[in-house]
Amino acid sequence: MRTLVIVSHPEISQSGSQQFLKHGIKDFEEVTFHHLEGCYPDGKINREIEHQLLKTHDRIIFQFPFYWYSSPALLKEWQDQVFAGDNFYGPEGSMLKGKEFGLVVTIGIKENAYRAGGREGYTIDELTRPYQAIANHMGMSYLPVLAIHQFAYLSEHEKKALLINYQYYLTGKQPDSFDNRTNWLVNQLERTDRSLLPEEKHESLETLVSEVAARQMTLTELKMTLDEC
Amino acid sequence: MTEWLVTELAHLEEVSLDYKQKALFLATIELILEQEQRQEQFEAKLDGSLWSPSNW
Repeated sequence: MRTLVIVSHPEISQSGSQQFLKHGIKDFEEVTFHHLEGCYPDGKINREIEHQLLKTHDRIIFQFPFYWYSSPALLKEWQDQVFAGDNFYGPEGSMLKGKEFGLVVTIGIKENAYRAGGREGYTIDELTRPYQAIANHMGMSYLPVLAIHQFAYLSEHEKKALLINYQYYLTGKQPDSFDNRTNWLVNQLERTDRSLLPEEKHESLETLVSEVAARQMTLTELKMTLDEC
Repeated sequence: MTEWLVTELAHLEEVSLDYKQKALFLATIELILEQEQRQEQFEAKLDGSLWSPSNW
C-alpha cells in the first residue's frame, strides 16, 4: 500500500507540529509527503502531476491546520482544480474509487471544546462534513479523522504516542483494530534499525518480538475457543 | 514474564539513540499490557462459560 499525504501549510518550516509529523514519517518509503505550497508557490497547480500522484497511491490523506473550520486556501484551490473534469464525477467514474481517504488536522483549541455545549459547539466530524461528502462522492472509504489538538502543550510521552498513531494512520491496515495494530507493531519492531541499540541488546529485542507475536497468537486462539462455546 | 518484557522495553527505550525508536518501544509496552489484560479477560470468560450449567 502506498500513501499520499497532501499537506497544505503556508509556513511549514515555522510549524512545530508539521515538522514533527514530517520527520516522523521520513523513513517510510511507502509514504509520499507532498507539500502544496512548496510545490506550487505561485498557486498554479499542475493537474496532470496531481492526477498521476492520486492514481499511484492507495491511501490519500489531506493534512492541514484548521483555519476557521477549514483548510488553508491552496488545498481548497487544489480540490477545485484537480477534481474538475470527468475523472471524478460519480462513484462509477471516479479514479479514486476504492481508495482510502483521511484527514490529519492540527487544531489550536482543546479537544473537549468540539462538542455540543462545548465552546465550539460542534464536533470535528460535523465540521469536516465536506470531506466526508467528497469521499462518498468519489467512492472512497473515509477514515476517522486524526485530530491533533494543541500540539505545543503535549507532554513528551503524549508526543511519542502521537507519533506512533500518526505512523499507523498513514501506513497501518484499517480499521484500527487491536489485531491490526499488533501486526503493524510487530512489523515495525522487526524492521527497526538495530544499529541504534547497543549490540548486547539485539538478542533481547528478538525475544521481545517473538513474545509479542506469540501472545497475539494465544489471544487469537482464545477468542476462537470462546466463539465456539 | 510480562514484567520482564516491560522492564526490558523500558530499558531499550532508555538506551536507544533514536526518538522514533523510543516511541516504538513505549507503544510496545502499552500493547503488552493490553495483551495481558485481554488474555485475563478471555480466560475468565472461558472459565465462566465452561462452568455454566446452561452450556452443559
